[in-house]
Amino acid sequence: MPQNSSALTAGAPIEAGPRPTFTTSIRIRLRVPARLRNVEFGLLLIACIIATGSIALVQLGATGTIDPSVLTYSAVLDLLVLVMHFTLRVVAAQADPLILPIITVLNGLGIAEICRIDLAKHVSGWDSAGVRQIVWTGMAIIIAIATIIWIRNHRVLQRYSYISMFVGIVLLLLPMLPLIGRTINGARLWVGIGSFTFQPGELGKIALAVFFAGYLVSARDSLSMVGRRVLGMTFPRARDLGPILVVFAASMIVLIFQRDLGTSLLYFGLFLVMLYVATGRASWIILGVTMFIGGALVANQLLTYVHGRVESWLDAFNPKIYDTSGGSYQLVQGLFGLAHGGLIGTGLGLGRPDLVPLAESDYIIPSLGEELGLVGIFAILALYLLFISRGFRIGFAGQDDFGRLLGVGLSFVIALQVFIVIGGVTRVIPLTGLTTPFLAAGGSSLVANWIIAALLLRLSDTVRNQPRAVIEG
Amino acid sequence: MSELTLLILRLVFLAVLWAFVFAVVYALRSDLFGQRVRRQPEVAASPFPSAPVAPVASAAPVAAEAPETELIQAPKAPVRAQPPPADGPARRLVITSGPKQGLEIDLPTEQLTIGRSSESGLVIRDDYTSTHHARLMLWNDGWMLQDLDSTNGTYLAGQRVTVPTLIPLNTPIKIGTTSFELRR
Repeated sequence: MPQNSSALTAGAPIEAGPRPTFTTSIRIRLRVPARLRNVEFGLLLIACIIATGSIALVQLGATGTIDPSVLTYSAVLDLLVLVMHFTLRVVAAQADPLILPIITVLNGLGIAEICRIDLAKHVSGWDSAGVRQIVWTGMAIIIAIATIIWIRNHRVLQRYSYISMFVGIVLLLLPMLPLIGRTINGARLWVGIGSFTFQPGELGKIALAVFFAGYLVSARDSLSMVGRRVLGMTFPRARDLGPILVVFAASMIVLIFQRDLGTSLLYFGLFLVMLYVATGRASWIILGVTMFIGGALVANQLLTYVHGRVESWLDAFNPKIYDTSGGSYQLVQGLFGLAHGGLIGTGLGLGRPDLVPLAESDYIIPSLGEELGLVGIFAILALYLLFISRGFRIGFAGQDDFGRLLGVGLSFVIALQVFIVIGGVTRVIPLTGLTTPFLAAGGSSLVANWIIAALLLRLSDTVRNQPRAVIEG
Repeated sequence: MSELTLLILRLVFLAVLWAFVFAVVYALRSDLFGQRVRRQPEVAASPFPSAPVAPVASAAPVAAEAPETELIQAPKAPVRAQPPPADGPARRLVITSGPKQGLEIDLPTEQLTIGRSSESGLVIRDDYTSTHHARLMLWNDGWMLQDLDSTNGTYLAGQRVTVPTLIPLNTPIKIGTTSFELRR
C-alpha cells in the first residue's frame, strides 16, 4: 500500500517525462519510514529501563547496595533485545511492534526475581539460578533472532507439518528413554547429559502447534461438514474421531508415565482449541472436555500423585494435608506469601519469597506477588493479556488458513500455560507443574517461548504484505 | 538506604510498570476502540486525489496510531465505520463463480492488482491467469479495469478488455475460471 501511494504522489518524474503508456510499469522505490519499528524502539527503551531497574532494586532491597557486576545481567538482556530490534528492522520491518517490548519486561522481571531468591539463598556463580537464567535468556534471544532470519515465510512450515508431528512426538517421549531421561521432583520430563538438563516437551509444543495447523487446514472439511445432529449439535462421524483419540492417548501417556498433569492438559487443550477454531463446531469442545474430565476422574482414582494434587487443592489448609510430604505445604506457603505482599507488595528484595519451595520456577508468581503486590501481579497479567491478544489479532488478520491457525495456536499455548500455572498457585485449579512463560527459571521454556514470539513476529510481518485473498485454481 | 527512599522507589517502580502497560495500550488503542470516525466524511466526500492522502496526514501527529490501523485492516476500517452511501464508487468485490465462489473482499482505497504473483492484491492461481494479469483503479469515483497484457485476457461483461474501461456496478468480470462483480 505505501509503495503504491508513493508511486502516485511522488509523481515528479512521471509528469516531467513523456507520458508513459498504461502497460509500462512504473516502479519508484522509496524508503518507507519504519513507523512500527520506531514505536517498538520507544517501548523497548522503557522495557529496558524496567528490566534494569528491577534488578537494581532487588540488589538495593536485599543488600542495601547495588553490586555493579550484577547489573551486567540486565545489560546482556538489554543489548540482545536491541540486536533483535535492529534485526527486525532489516528482515521483518512490518512485524508487530508490541510483542518484543512486552516479553522483554516479563523476562527482565523474571531475572530480577530469580536473582533476588539467589541472594536470599546465598548462592552465586553457576550454582545460582539467576546466572543460568541470564545465560539461557541470551541463548533464547539468539535462537529467536536466528528463527526470524531463517524462516522468511511461515508457509514454509506447512510443508513440514507431518515431520513436525513426528518431531513433536519424539520430543514428547524423549524423557522416557532409559539413559538420558531424568526424573526431577517426581515428573519424568527432562533429558540430561551430565549436569545439563533440558525439557524437550517445551519445544514439542511448537512442533505440535505447527502440525495441528497443517493437519487441520487439510482435514477441516471432513471434520466440519459431515456428521449427525444430536440435540441441536452436529457431532462428527466415528471415523473422523481418529486424530482426537490419538492426541488424547498421547496426553494420557504423559499423564501416566511422565507423571505430569500440566503438560498433558496443555497438549490436549491446544489441540481442542485449534480444532474448534478450524471447524467452528462446539461439539468438538464438548466431546474433548468430556473426554478430559473422564480421564482426569479416572486418573484421580488410580494415580496417587494426581489424587494428592486434587486433595491439596480442595483442602489446602487442613493441617494433615499441609504436613504430609508432597502435601499442600508449598501451595499454602505461596498463598501466605501473596497475602504478605498485600496491595502494593513488600518491595523488591524486601519480602521472604525464598520460604516457598521452588520459588524461582513454579512459584515465581507468588514470589513476584509478594514483592510487587496485587498491583504488580495485575500489571504482569495485563502484559500477558496484551501479548496474547496481539497473537490472536495476528491470527485473525492472517490471509491463509495455515497462518491463521498457527497464530491462534501459538498464542493460545501461552494463554493456556499462564492459566494453568497461575490458576494452580492461586488455588483456582489443582496445582500442576508448568513454567510461567518468560518469567520462571528454566532454559527450555525460555527458548521455546522466545521461538514462539519470533514466529508470531514473522507471521505479523507476512500478514501485512499479504494479498487480500488467494484463489487457488 | 532509608525506609522512605525504598518506599518511594517501590511506588515509582510500580508506576513505571503500569506506565509501560498503558503505553502499550495507547499504541494499540485504535485496534481496541476502532478508528476515529469524525474524519470519515472527509474521506468519502473528497475526490480520488485527496482520498488516500487525508488519512495519512491526519494520522501523522500520532505515530503510534497509523501503523496499528494499517497493521490489521486499515482499508476496511473506514469503510465499515459508516453506512454505505447511496452513490459513490463500489466498495466490495464479490466472487460470483470459480473455486472461491461467494468470497467477498473489501476494495482498497486506490487500486487492486490481480494476478498469479503473490505480490498481487488478489492472487488467482489457475492455468489461465498471468503473473500480473489485470488491475482495478479508482479514478474519479469510478473503478477502472485495466488488462496488463495478459495472455488469456480479461473479460468485462463478455467483452475482452483492451483499454482501461469503467466498470459498471454488478457487471461480471472474468479472469481465468474466476468471475467477480463490484458491488457497493
